[in-house]
Amino acid sequence: MAVIEADQLTKTFSLRTRPEGRFAALRGMIRPNIRAVEAVRGVSFQVEEGEVVAFLGPNGAGKSTTIKMLTGILAPSGGGARVLGLDPSRERRRLAWSIGSVFGQKSQLWFHLPPSDSFKLLGAIYEIEPKELARRTAALSERFALAELMDAPVRKLSLGQRIRCEIAASLLHKPRVLFLDEPTIGLDVVARKEIRALIAELNKEDGVTVFITSHDMGDIEKICKRAIIIHHGRVVIDESMKALKHRALSKKYLGVRYAGPVDLELPGLSPSKRTERSARYELDTAKHSLAEAVRALASRGELEDITVEDEPLEDVIAAIYASKSEDEAGAFGASRRVRGAGDA
Amino acid sequence: MDERISIDERRSADPGRASAAGASAAGNTAGGASAAAGITAAGITAAGITAAGVSSRRPGRLKAYARFLAAAFAANAKSALEYRVNFLVQFFGMVLNNAAFAAFWAVLIGRTGSVGGYGFSDVMFIWALVSSSFGLAHVLAGNVRSIGRIVMEGGLDVYLLQPKDAFVNLLASRTVVSAWGDLAYGFIVLALLPGTDFGRVLLFCALMAPGAVIFAATFAAAESLTFFLGNAQAVSSALAEFMLSFSLYPEGVFGKNLRWLFYSLIPSGFVAFVPLRIYRAVDWALVPALWGVAALYAALAKTLFNAGLRRYESGNRMDARV
Amino acid sequence: MRSLSSRLRCSYLAALTALRERAAYAGNFGASMLTYGLFVFIFSRVWAGAYAGDALIAGYSLDMAVWYFIVAEISAFGFGRFFWGLSRDVKSGQVAYLLARPYDFVGYHYAERLGGSLAEVGFIALEGLVAGLILVGPLPAALVGGGAAAGIGRAAVVVFSLFLAGTLQFYLQFALALSAFWLEENDALYWIYQKFALVVGTLIPIEFLPEAAARLSLWTPFPYLSYAPARLFVAFSWDEAARLIGGQLAWIAVGMALARGTFALGSRRVALNGG
Repeated sequence: MAVIEADQLTKTFSLRTRPEGRFAALRGMIRPNIRAVEAVRGVSFQVEEGEVVAFLGPNGAGKSTTIKMLTGILAPSGGGARVLGLDPSRERRRLAWSIGSVFGQKSQLWFHLPPSDSFKLLGAIYEIEPKELARRTAALSERFALAELMDAPVRKLSLGQRIRCEIAASLLHKPRVLFLDEPTIGLDVVARKEIRALIAELNKEDGVTVFITSHDMGDIEKICKRAIIIHHGRVVIDESMKALKHRALSKKYLGVRYAGPVDLELPGLSPSKRTERSARYELDTAKHSLAEAVRALASRGELEDITVEDEPLEDVIAAIYASKSEDEAGAFGASRRVRGAGDA
Repeated sequence: MDERISIDERRSADPGRASAAGASAAGNTAGGASAAAGITAAGITAAGITAAGVSSRRPGRLKAYARFLAAAFAANAKSALEYRVNFLVQFFGMVLNNAAFAAFWAVLIGRTGSVGGYGFSDVMFIWALVSSSFGLAHVLAGNVRSIGRIVMEGGLDVYLLQPKDAFVNLLASRTVVSAWGDLAYGFIVLALLPGTDFGRVLLFCALMAPGAVIFAATFAAAESLTFFLGNAQAVSSALAEFMLSFSLYPEGVFGKNLRWLFYSLIPSGFVAFVPLRIYRAVDWALVPALWGVAALYAALAKTLFNAGLRRYESGNRMDARV
Repeated sequence: MRSLSSRLRCSYLAALTALRERAAYAGNFGASMLTYGLFVFIFSRVWAGAYAGDALIAGYSLDMAVWYFIVAEISAFGFGRFFWGLSRDVKSGQVAYLLARPYDFVGYHYAERLGGSLAEVGFIALEGLVAGLILVGPLPAALVGGGAAAGIGRAAVVVFSLFLAGTLQFYLQFALALSAFWLEENDALYWIYQKFALVVGTLIPIEFLPEAAARLSLWTPFPYLSYAPARLFVAFSWDEAARLIGGQLAWIAVGMALARGTFALGSRRVALNGG
């Protein structure tokens, strides 16, 4: 059964922009400039119970707006959504009993108090019996390795530790769906790995449906089985991670700089940019092994610097458009519309 | 509909699955697993309407809110303790400020006998009552003058995502440390006033509570204008200043033309003037009426906030933060 | 030391820059003008209630009392809050940083802060004048009587007294702000200063105080902050002008000594302890 259904979800904002020039404030009151911004244009998808879905898109693509409509914070201009059978914008509070959320910068935990106090308050908010609350807190504390963190004021925790506590807090009331908005932003490599493992586990153990937004793909590919990519307010891709990887996730950019001049040619791979001592390579990991390339480059000479980057999401999307129009030459009207639409 | 059954069922239900019974019309849960087929959209909508009607008549709900507010208060108190030193300094500053004005009144009334119908102990009573009312409002509903800032910063969403009334949740989620001093100060002055006995202390408390509600409601209403105007900080600050200022001076000096103001937009009449009259005469009969007025102000404030919330949810604001 | 003319020029520029900056944010004045207006209104009513039929209290008529309040509050409002900006500078370490600069620190800040406040003071004074004309009526007879030249002369003296009041406010608050070198929570010191300034001469004229208190207060700087210009405005006499302005100048000398003294001690402390 679908726990999240988006049906032609649309959101258009009327922004009153400040007029420029003389008497700007006065003119703004008499005849305000109203600009329509179409943040989300007809987004449709269905998420089944127990799925872990990545909701991806570059900044400004409409991700946050969509998730706000799914959780009831924002009312759609058109189309509709059903989460766990409820209309989020009409039954926001009823829905709140069964969903959890961790929204990036916004915290449910009180800044000056230890997480344990916030958990007690959340227990009262979600009407969890005290004994059950204690049991649940202990279980989450153990599973998320929060023992030493529970009694330190939140302001003393690192970002990674805080996010772990936030996710644990969002699970206190055993929600069926968990919405995570950019949960790993600002975290280091190790912290990201921890969070990813946690999310994978709670999906496996408790069957919680997880809906994660991000603008960083590499992060998500390990735990999400399915990816929905949104761009300029429209769904561009909605397919399994496997298919997506096959399509686009295989590119890596490798940059090297040496102390002295070096032979920069690799078997089957030439640099896309080069100077005497440095080079940049575009690696298709389907064809070349990243590990071997790095090994080979390291042995060429004295390495001063090496960088490995993922392909930016925008490029992935552009590549998808390109490959799509190759696959469905001319018939894929949507992509052409999107490509021609430009910025609103 | 038995609320209690559905709550217990919801909690003891299998993790991750709302029980079918719990998903019945009485429950607050979303549709259950296999029972989903039996729940029509109409059924859910009907349940949604009854559940959404914020009725405090159901005992389960009232108890739940009481527990929630107590927990919020406990968290606030603990948070406030972190600022012990700061608090003492502010308390001192407030005592100093009030002492200065007490000196002013002592000198003036010493010369003229009374001003606008107020004697010295009348003025002191007003200071005590307004101080405690204002303090209580900010102790229990510390966010009352921060609503605008919170909305502009995007901090409202956290409260919207929780299954408690956003207005109550938002207000109760903070305590203003200095307000504890204001609250205590009123009682200290009360203790120093001649003629204070247990009955009068009780009366003081009975007058302080509606005063706190009216203060909170007025400030919350002004702050809620942020939903409509963008940044209502100026209005809210001005209102707070006006209200406090007018409350602390004798009603008699302001003349008939302004009278209507003090019983409407700047309700100094209800937080100071009327309570003084009640206290002088020790007339308990008028106290319920004052409570009624307080309830009215609270209802109006909530209505305004809810209207603003609807606007917020439509997302169309000046300089919208998407 | 640098030449007087270059020092004066520096001060002039500092004041002008500060003034321009403040004036650019004219909207900022809205809040203080609103508060000032509110207080003037309320106190005009309070005094009316206090007088209720009496012609004179402590030698003041109702009209005089209200005009007194209007002028006294100009000083209290316009010049009463230097402390906060100065305190911020001291606490943020800005002072330590600026100590290395080759100019007269105290003098520079005097020009900057007092100069910068003149725009706001101007607006408030105008507002007060208008409010007074509406609420009370004619200007005090002692001020305007006897022809335009005399009136202008007296008005000039009052303005001068206001300016001296501002100067005194600055130096005293400067010394208070510098106490941060020794005292972490020195806000309380300022509050005490401000409350005394409020009661002694702003809310009530000195003449209203009980005799002992009135006599005692004349040994403190407080009457010279608000009482001096306000008194001269409502009950001008050349004798009193000489006395009051003399007192202001004397206290300014004390204030300057205090300011420079704390500054010298403070900067030595900074040099020793590294800010």
